Amino acid sequence: MKVEFRLFAGIGVFFVIIGSVYGMVTHWSEPVGPFGLYLSGGVAALIGFYLWETGRKLNARPEDDPMGQISAAEGEYGFFSPHSWWPLAVAASAGVLFLGLAVGWWLAIIGLSLSALATIGWTFEYFRGEHAV
Amino acid sequence: MVAVGTIVWLASELMFFAGLFAMYFTIRSVSPELWQQRTTLLNVPFAAVNTLLLVISSVWCQLGVFKAEQGQPARTGSLLQLQQWGMREWYVLTYIFGSIFVSGQILEYASLVRDGVTISSDAYGSVFYLTTGFHGMHVTGGLIAILLIVGRTFTTRRYTHAQASGAIVTSYYWHFVDVIWIALFSTIYLLK
Repeated sequence: MKVEFRLFAGIGVFFVIIGSVYGMVTHWSEPVGPFGLYLSGGVAALIGFYLWETGRKLNARPEDDPMGQISAAEGEYGFFSPHSWWPLAVAASAGVLFLGLAVGWWLAIIGLSLSALATIGWTFEYFRGEHAV
Repeated sequence: MVAVGTIVWLASELMFFAGLFAMYFTIRSVSPELWQQRTTLLNVPFAAVNTLLLVISSVWCQLGVFKAEQGQPARTGSLLQLQQWGMREWYVLTYIFGSIFVSGQILEYASLVRDGVTISSDAYGSVFYLTTGFHGMHVTGGLIAILLIVGRTFTTRRYTHAQASGAIVTSYYWHFVDVIWIALFSTIYLLK
């Protein structure tokens, strides 16, 4: 994952340099610009660090090999939900909750209870019974 | 896959907080006198202890992650044998420390409101409650996530890889919220 890591680390370094240049040009009298640019560097560094850390744990992947074949990347990729109604329930109950903030607290309380149920439903959907993943 | 998605989402969360920091610094730079008055009301030692609790909770969370990676959800010894603790015990300890942090925040809000700093009192109040309030809401969300992730270990027979990755991404989020607080604490309480 070296290529990905270098890409994001490069973006991070770029933003840190640009943030400093921006600060010097404005004589550090405008704090928002440097702060925003440094944090943009932070975003890239966060992803870069994650890629580096993951790359350290994994062996070279098929996509790291210039001569890699498509068939080398086959196999199990993890568990993916085939379909689920729970995201709809979560969205609808969150809708009721936020409508409640505008309409009245009584509706927000109903929305909060529905949100709690829907969140539990979504989180536990594949983690109960005989066929838990 | 879950981990990649979480990291991308956390990157967007970082930019959300970047907006809050930008707001804080902009308003601070146009009203320095207000800051001089209001920051004297802050109880820095109290907030420092609270910060320390949140940082320590991140350590407990990481110890829980090591247990999750080993595939050990429950403790094998008694409650006093820390070495034998499983993922559940460490996550519950994280939860306790996190909830003390949120309660501390509420105590601090109460004392500031008594001193007349409210969200609508002046620009300082608005900025203070928006930045720390959004962070507090994130911590509360993390607490709910910990409850769900611990609860989930009880409903299945085996502690699978999918369970462990859920616990690991919850820890990513917890560490993220912790780092954001360190930045917020330094800007609000130390820089003044």
